[in-house]
Parts: sequence; structure tokens; C-alpha cells
Amino acid sequence: MISLIRSEFYKISKQSKTLYALAAILIIEGFVIMSAFYQGAGIIDLLLDNLKDSFEFRGNLLNGNLIIYLILNSLWFHIPLILMIIISGFLTSEYKEKTVETVMLQPVSKLYFILSKYIVSIAFTLLIVLILAVSSFFISYWIFGHGDLVVYLDGLNFFKSDDASFRLICAFVSGANTMIFFSVISLTLAVILKDATKTWIVSAIFLICSNLLLKIDFKNEVINELFFSKLTDSWQYFFYYEIPYSTIYFKNLMLLGYSILAMIIGVLIFKRRDIHG
Amino acid sequence: MILEARNICKSYGSLEVLKNVTIECHKGQIYGLIGANGAGKTTLFRILLGLIKQDSGSILIDSEGIKPIGGIVEKPALYGYLSAFGNLKVFAQIQGLNLTKELFHQSMQQVGLSPTRKDEIRNYSLGMKQRLGLAIALLNNPECIVLDEPFSGLDPMGIFALHELIKKLSNENQITVIISSHIVSELTDLCDTLYVLNNGEIIKSGSAVQLLKESVTTFKITGKNLELSEVLKSEDAIFLNKSVLVSPKRASISEILQKLIEEGMEVTTCIPQTDLKALFGREQV
Repeated sequence: MISLIRSEFYKISKQSKTLYALAAILIIEGFVIMSAFYQGAGIIDLLLDNLKDSFEFRGNLLNGNLIIYLILNSLWFHIPLILMIIISGFLTSEYKEKTVETVMLQPVSKLYFILSKYIVSIAFTLLIVLILAVSSFFISYWIFGHGDLVVYLDGLNFFKSDDASFRLICAFVSGANTMIFFSVISLTLAVILKDATKTWIVSAIFLICSNLLLKIDFKNEVINELFFSKLTDSWQYFFYYEIPYSTIYFKNLMLLGYSILAMIIGVLIFKRRDIHG
Repeated sequence: MILEARNICKSYGSLEVLKNVTIECHKGQIYGLIGANGAGKTTLFRILLGLIKQDSGSILIDSEGIKPIGGIVEKPALYGYLSAFGNLKVFAQIQGLNLTKELFHQSMQQVGLSPTRKDEIRNYSLGMKQRLGLAIALLNNPECIVLDEPFSGLDPMGIFALHELIKKLSNENQITVIISSHIVSELTDLCDTLYVLNNGEIIKSGSAVQLLKESVTTFKITGKNLELSEVLKSEDAIFLNKSVLVSPKRASISEILQKLIEEGMEVTTCIPQTDLKALFGREQV
């Protein structure tokens, strides 16, 4: 199993698409920072226009923490989409090139092979989120400096600089769990569909539907609490004045359960199916 | 016996791909599985290699090695973005082998590839990929290897080189080799035993020499001034542009050749033509 995981990492490190994934993340970050640099001050003025009549604002609200928060919001769509494309490719490329057959011609267990794919996908997801977090903190503080954070979440919420940094770090950690869920789903879709293009399309539809369903009130408490799409926004809860830790823990644990379920389904399907390239 | 597949059946929906197929293979021998496209050769090989499950029947491989059987199905499927070393490293690692420099050199030399090339194998020719695929199949020293259409797409030099390599593996390493092809000539001088698969059934099996002898009814003869030969005319030979097709009726082929020499003809080649209808036991081939 360990040797399978090592070989998966070796393959990923040698594939150009890994570099494309990293480049895509840095490009997204670059766009957010560039937009903030040129237009950020104007947007904040517009946002706080009414409040300026009643309150006095000191310091610069267009600071590193706000930029990190903007980058963090790429966890809604951009980052999971990139992850789903790259991670499903870990398996669909093996089907396309028929290397999955050559692997299975060696004395290798089907269970361990597919489990190693899931484990490496999760590790890759964590690495990508870590790179996103570290680079966004480093670049944002370097260019825009520290400062208090203003966030619009059911109203304008203000956080002191140190508190904001803590909340942003927690949000990245919680967001990583959401990213793992989407990555695991994409790999399971790859097991089912085998074909890269079909998997990309279905993954993108899954992500879009998941985001849309998040906003819908099902008028049923159980569905509203337990349906998977309602669990993918736990990282946003760190930007309420009072952090609802119990809700965040519950959502993350439930989402982890969904990830494990998706993984079990993928493993069972892969194990039962004949190997055809 | 190193491998025994007994009464293998496989269907896809209502389509019966294999019907009670039984083959037996002994150590160090070369076996040929011949059949027209769609006869079920690749399905049988996939089952032997454990890629797909048979509906019924049993497979017994008498080997206590880590890897009892290795092989290549259709084209060698390798990681194009890795070098030969990278590919061997990945496939060695997943089966618990540490690919040392010595093992890499040994594996490459065994299949006649240069271990000095560092570029990605997507630049390799098909023949070189076949050889690298064979090197991967031979990792962990399987006692039996299965090669599905290994000569497909190779040039004559590549076919010759692969022939020699397979013979070497069989003679020197005592590896049992099972090869499939739909081209009879590729297997004639390579295999000890032939199985003929038609429409999912083994319709003939036995010594390759005997089976092919029974299936040869016509010979293609080339030489100078053959159109003047009375012997060939008496045998109702068909005169083509630069050769003659003769199906001996009154005399054997050796007698015909002897008479041609007596007539003063200069015979340059005499190539047996396998009657595919006779071999495959059906009208369409």
C-alpha cells in the first residue's frame, strides 16, 4: 500500500497537469490581488458610503486580511472546479492510456490500488489548499499589510486584525474539508464514468448544483441540516461575530461522512468491475 | 503443467464470447492462439491475466512466485510522460521491487533496449514500447507470459527481433509463452503448440507444425520462366504477374519442385500458403 502511494506521488510529480493546477491557483490569486489593487478602494468606499455618515473609519480597510478573505472565497467554485478536473484525471488518464490494465497485470490488489488513489487525492487537495493559504497570506500581507477585516455576512461584520487572521486560518482548515469532499466525489465519478470529458462535465454540474442547492430552503429541517450541499459552507461560519463552533463541527463531521461514503462506493464499484482500458 | 484453463465461458449480455475453452500449457513451451478478429482471443487473455472474470470455468496456475503470470494485452500501455527508467520504477515499486541500477540495466538488456536513453517513452517506436512492456511483464520473474498480438504494427525487423527475444525467453529462461495472432505466418516457426479459436470455441489444437501442414494446400512459387513449365500447367497452376500458385493434386510439392528443376527452371522461392478456411474451420475469415 505504501509503495502504491509512493508511486502515485511519483507519477503526479512527473505530470505537467500538476504544474497547471498550481499555476491556475496562482493565476486566480493574482487576479484577485490585481482587482483589489486597482478597484478595491472604490468598492469599499461604495460599501461603506452610508456608514461613513454615522461612523469614523480609521486605518486602511483595503488590507491583507480583506484580500485573503477574497481569495478564500475562491473555495466556492474556482478551487473545487480545478481540483475536480485534476483529481478525476488521476484515474481517467489511466483508463484513457490503458495503464490501469498494465498496473493490474502486476501483483497488485485492486482494493489497495484504488485506495491509494483516494489517499493521494486527499493529500494533493490538502497540499493545494495549503499552498493557496500560505501564498495568499504571504503575498497579501506583503503587498497590502495588516489591518481590520470587514466582511458582509448577513450585515457588515468587523474584526480586529489578529482575530481576523485567526478566523481566516480556521476558515482555510474548514474549507480544506469541503475541498476534500469535492475531490473524493470527482474521483468516484471517474471510477463510474472512466472517460475524462464526461467526468469533467458531471463534476462541474455537481459543483454548480451543490452551490445552488446550498441557497435553497427545503422547508424540511432534516434535509436542511443533513443534505450534503448544506454542509459545504462551514468555512463561512468563521465570519459571524460569535463563531458557531458546534455547527461547524457538525457540518464538517457530516461532510467527512459523505466523503467516506463516496469513497466506499468508488472502491466497491472499482473492485467489482472488470478492468477494461 | 504450468497453466490450465478449463471450460472457460464468458458472455456479454446475449453474446457468448467464449464457450467452454480449455487450454493447457507446459513449462518452457511456446503456445500460439490463433483466430480471426473477434474470435475471443483477447477476452481469453484478459481472463488468464485476471483482468476480467470468467462466468464459469477454472484457471489453475502452478507457480509459487510473487507474480505467476505477466503479459501485455493488445498494445503496451505505459506512462508516456515517464522515461523507461521511470516506467520500470513505477511498475517495480507497486509490486514491492526496488529498482536498482543493476536491475534496470538487466531488465533493459534482457529485452534488447539501451539503458542510456533518458527521454520520455512517448518518443519511442512501437517496437521499443513492446520491448519495454515485455521488460515490465518480466519483472518479478513470472513463469508464464501472455502476449496479445505482439507483432501488430511492427515492421519486419521488429517482428524478427521480437521472435528472437521470445525464443530466448522460452529456451534460456524456461518461461512459458502464450501468443495470440490472427496472422498465421507470424506463429508458424515460433510456436510448439497451436490452439485455433473460432467464434469463442477451440476448434483445433495440437503441434503447430502438424496443424499448419494440414492447413497448407497451396504454394506460391517464384522463379524464372515458370510460365513455360509443363509440370505447372499439368497441375492447373495459376500464373500471376511474378509468381505461380500451385495446389498439388497429382504429385507432392517436393516432386513438383524436383520436376521443375529437371525442366531447367530456376526456382527462387516456394512459400506455403495457409488455407485460412481450412484452419479456422469456417467460410468467412
